[in-house]
Amino acid sequence: MESFTPYLLGAGMAVLLGLDRTAALQIMVSRPLVAGPLVGFVLGDPLTGLTVGMLLELLWLCRMPVGASIPHDDTQITVSATTLAIALSATIGSGAGLTLGALLIALPLGKIGQHVERAVRTQNERLPAAALARLQLGQLPAVERLHLCGLGNFALGALTTYTVIVLVGRWLILSGAPFFLDLLTTQADWIKLALVLAGVATLLQALNVRRAYGLFFGGFLLTFLLLGVLR
Amino acid sequence: MMISGTLSASLRRRLFCRSFLLQASWNFEQMQGLGALFVLSPLLRKLYQGEELQQACARHLSYFNTHPFIAPVILSGMAQLEVNGAGKEEIEEFRQLLMAPCAAMGDAFFWGGVRPFAAVVAMFFALHGSLLAPVVLLLIFNLPHLLVRIVGFSKGCELAEGVVDFLARCRLPDLAIRLKQATLILLGILCAGLTHNTLNFAALPWQWGGAIIPLVFTLGWLARHRLSPLLLALLLAALILVLPGLY
Repeated sequence: MESFTPYLLGAGMAVLLGLDRTAALQIMVSRPLVAGPLVGFVLGDPLTGLTVGMLLELLWLCRMPVGASIPHDDTQITVSATTLAIALSATIGSGAGLTLGALLIALPLGKIGQHVERAVRTQNERLPAAALARLQLGQLPAVERLHLCGLGNFALGALTTYTVIVLVGRWLILSGAPFFLDLLTTQADWIKLALVLAGVATLLQALNVRRAYGLFFGGFLLTFLLLGVLR
Repeated sequence: MMISGTLSASLRRRLFCRSFLLQASWNFEQMQGLGALFVLSPLLRKLYQGEELQQACARHLSYFNTHPFIAPVILSGMAQLEVNGAGKEEIEEFRQLLMAPCAAMGDAFFWGGVRPFAAVVAMFFALHGSLLAPVVLLLIFNLPHLLVRIVGFSKGCELAEGVVDFLARCRLPDLAIRLKQATLILLGILCAGLTHNTLNFAALPWQWGGAIIPLVFTLGWLARHRLSPLLLALLLAALILVLPGLY
């Protein structure tokens, strides 16, 4: 029997972890590798969260939150994929297939997060003008409250992204599970390798240093040969 | 006006804690502008009153954009200049002088250097199913993060405009390059371990791992030609799901 509680707990985590992305602290609890196990821990299955986080961590690692650039919302993808995988395990059975299914469905849906965050930042544009008006009235505490309103906007944005991914994702998983669950389970190891390799390739491009490929392949070949010999 | 020439410890603490919320109202118009005023407002309230306070706040409510972790250096420097009774042109010049270089330095060091390094080290733990992975990532990232925030803030209070020389001596861009190189080597080791394990599980000869090299080259080439990580990931997953059906 599917419970509503994991979705509610997931929503709370989505807001808390979403704030860490830009608006507050930025101590990196919003990184997939941290957010996944944290959500999993709250929902009672940290290892599912760890799997989701591990597969997502490298994909957008070097997309910098610089200036007006808005990176893909990998935090909400992690939170919603972990929540879906754990919440639906009671209905369709847990396993690597469901975890990967939730992740692969949440991945493209995460694009919504970029649009939502752009809307939040646009919405925040009215705050400086409002603050100036309050200043002219001599209301400095009100100016400080306006700044914290921005925090509320970011929280609302995180919640919106999470809700959309979870609602659409849940429907897609439940209607598609009979078709893809077994296939995903049998190919789980290869898909995990592929997702990590996709992340590695994007990192190799983004880490803009001389001899990047030389350093990478040097590390790879030495380790691989060593492991092969020791096998 | 404040009588003492230095910021009091309690005021320093308040300003420092507020710097963690610098980006709460991030927007495309002033970016961190309102946040900068939010951080400095306890000091401005102490220094000015009435009309003067309004004018001081209005001065600080303008475009501000730098790296959030290095921002405390600039903000504490500005706070010290305010306490020293520096003119508004001098404070504005200080802020304009530091914003862009600090942003570039912070982006290269934290987003380009420390974060990938911390993530790749933590991935070693994650691939072994260890729940220490998030702890490792948080520790490796936040040690330099908090160090730069704390030291930067206190140096800004201590040195005011002299903080420019201090920042130059930190050599953060050089450190970022070393971190990136270490990350690339670790990434190679990580890939080798993962490939080896996957081949083991699939009971395939380990020599097949050689195929990873051209695959990573191809994926890197696709990434360079603007194929997004999302498409890359979905394309690979689709290939793996479809290929077995074809044979």
